[in-house]
Amino acid sequence: MNDRRLEESWWLLSRSRGVGVVLRVLILVSPVAAIACTRLAADHSLLAINVAIIPLAFVCVVYPDSHIGLLVVLLVGIEWLVTVDDQATPWSIGVAISLTVFHASVAAATVAPPAARWTRAMCWRWSRRSLVVMGASACTWAAVAAIDRYAVGSSAVLVVVSLATIAVAAMWARDGSVGVSQQ
Amino acid sequence: MFAVVAVLARRPDLLVLGTPFIAAAVWAVLLRPTRPLGVAQSIGHRTVREGEATTWHIAISDPENRADDVAAVLEAPMWVDQQPVDGQVVVSPRDDGHDRLDVFIRPTRWGVHQVGPALVVASSAWAGFRWEAQNYADSSMLVALPRPAQFDAAAPAVRSPGLVGVNRSPRPGSGTEFASIRPFQPGDRLRRIHWPRSLRTGTLHVTATWAEHDRHVVLLIDALDDVGESEGIDGLASSLDITMRAAGAIAEHFISAGDRVALVVLGARGVQRVPPASGYRHLRRLLEAMARVQPAHSVIDDGRMPRGLGDGALVLMLSPLVSPTALQRAVSISDRGLAVIVIDCLPADIALQEPDDPFVGLTWRIEVLKRDRDIRRVREAGIPVVPWSGPGSLDVVLRDLHHRVAGSRAGRR
Repeated sequence: MNDRRLEESWWLLSRSRGVGVVLRVLILVSPVAAIACTRLAADHSLLAINVAIIPLAFVCVVYPDSHIGLLVVLLVGIEWLVTVDDQATPWSIGVAISLTVFHASVAAATVAPPAARWTRAMCWRWSRRSLVVMGASACTWAAVAAIDRYAVGSSAVLVVVSLATIAVAAMWARDGSVGVSQQ
Repeated sequence: MFAVVAVLARRPDLLVLGTPFIAAAVWAVLLRPTRPLGVAQSIGHRTVREGEATTWHIAISDPENRADDVAAVLEAPMWVDQQPVDGQVVVSPRDDGHDRLDVFIRPTRWGVHQVGPALVVASSAWAGFRWEAQNYADSSMLVALPRPAQFDAAAPAVRSPGLVGVNRSPRPGSGTEFASIRPFQPGDRLRRIHWPRSLRTGTLHVTATWAEHDRHVVLLIDALDDVGESEGIDGLASSLDITMRAAGAIAEHFISAGDRVALVVLGARGVQRVPPASGYRHLRRLLEAMARVQPAHSVIDDGRMPRGLGDGALVLMLSPLVSPTALQRAVSISDRGLAVIVIDCLPADIALQEPDDPFVGLTWRIEVLKRDRDIRRVREAGIPVVPWSGPGSLDVVLRDLHHRVAGSRAGRR
């Protein structure tokens, strides 16, 4: 929670206990799991990216409030894009689950200071929501695998519609964020 | 980002990787709060004894019920312990059904401590939106009263001459004037038990008496120095710790005996004097005044006689006897004809300790020799100097003083 204000991130880290420790271990382990799944899907990996991801994940452990997590996710995505050719591989579910765990762990690490004792209800809520998102990832994979069976030709209209949909969704999310911050 | 690349690069598998982020973002935006939370912080008790605990309350009001997690960090000042140890707590108001966070705080040393405000941070779903508050107006001053050491004095009271003690006090206390027979309470003297009534009723009863107004005790605290290391109530005590706890114990003893007690502080910033009065409310006043005493790092002493030293007052000076200023003050008060007892509050082990640095050790030995010389001079001036050792510390000197006063009265007759 708010390392910027306390400015004692190292000290805070040393005070971690219970769920705080588990979350920090997950922040470190989940990108490694994503790398492993990518390697299993592609039979090879990019050493430079792998070497970069680990220290960045460690920075996320110390500063979960920072934007370094975004960089970790970006590197995992780039490695997947560059190395994996099979678009319907089930290992993508493994990477998605790893990224879900990483995202949930970083987010959860920011809501409470490391030494705070989490309640059972909080643990259960975060786990439940993560499982829902993992389920959504599995559904997406099923849809992608289904599409992959059919050879869909190039369609400019489809690309434009997709991009427009993404733009509208992004604007909707941005409006929501800006609205709250301006209050 | 994943979605854009998926579309442009014709890689639908990237959508699978992006789904967790898209789902979490949509979830967070859908459950975003639109109004800030209400937070009220308060302290359970503003005044406690050192070593006693109280609670820092953080009450949360979330009318929309959209705050998932509310965390707080209370940074405690020195000499204040917390439970949880780091003052970090978190709760889910909706899931746990709690709308408040509590941090237990325990002052480990007497004094006035500023506590709070706690930094309160609330997060919405997926920590998508965060709201924080730290209103410095919510901070509170926690007054930790010195915990009186154990003290009792069996010596007879030194009675002041004059008309003050002829009339009984309107309050019950230790006197000779019969007031009533009442049930025995812890702290009552055994010789006060009224056996006929106790045998008749089957429960112990004591004879209560009215207090007498004939003793005026002045506690003269030397706050010019604070010698030694203080580790709070659970560890080593500095000279000022011993002074305050002893002063509290002596004040409690004389107040419970129905006497009037005044407080004069030498050299401290802030409080200088509490006029004489009696009663437990006054005891509280004395302890609060003691809690606000700060050691004077420079000598603040105008050299004038402290006010409030009435004729016939028994002056109990509590001092580590390191500063010659305090000892000179004791001599000058004694020269006015007042009964003065100096209580040595230097920690017992500090005079014997040998610092690692040989020069510091040599300096300290010279200081101890000078201190012994000053104490000898004070004793030669007829002022008793006794080390503070809890119950019975003052018995011998009070008894001597009583004989001396009784002798002088007999001589006058």
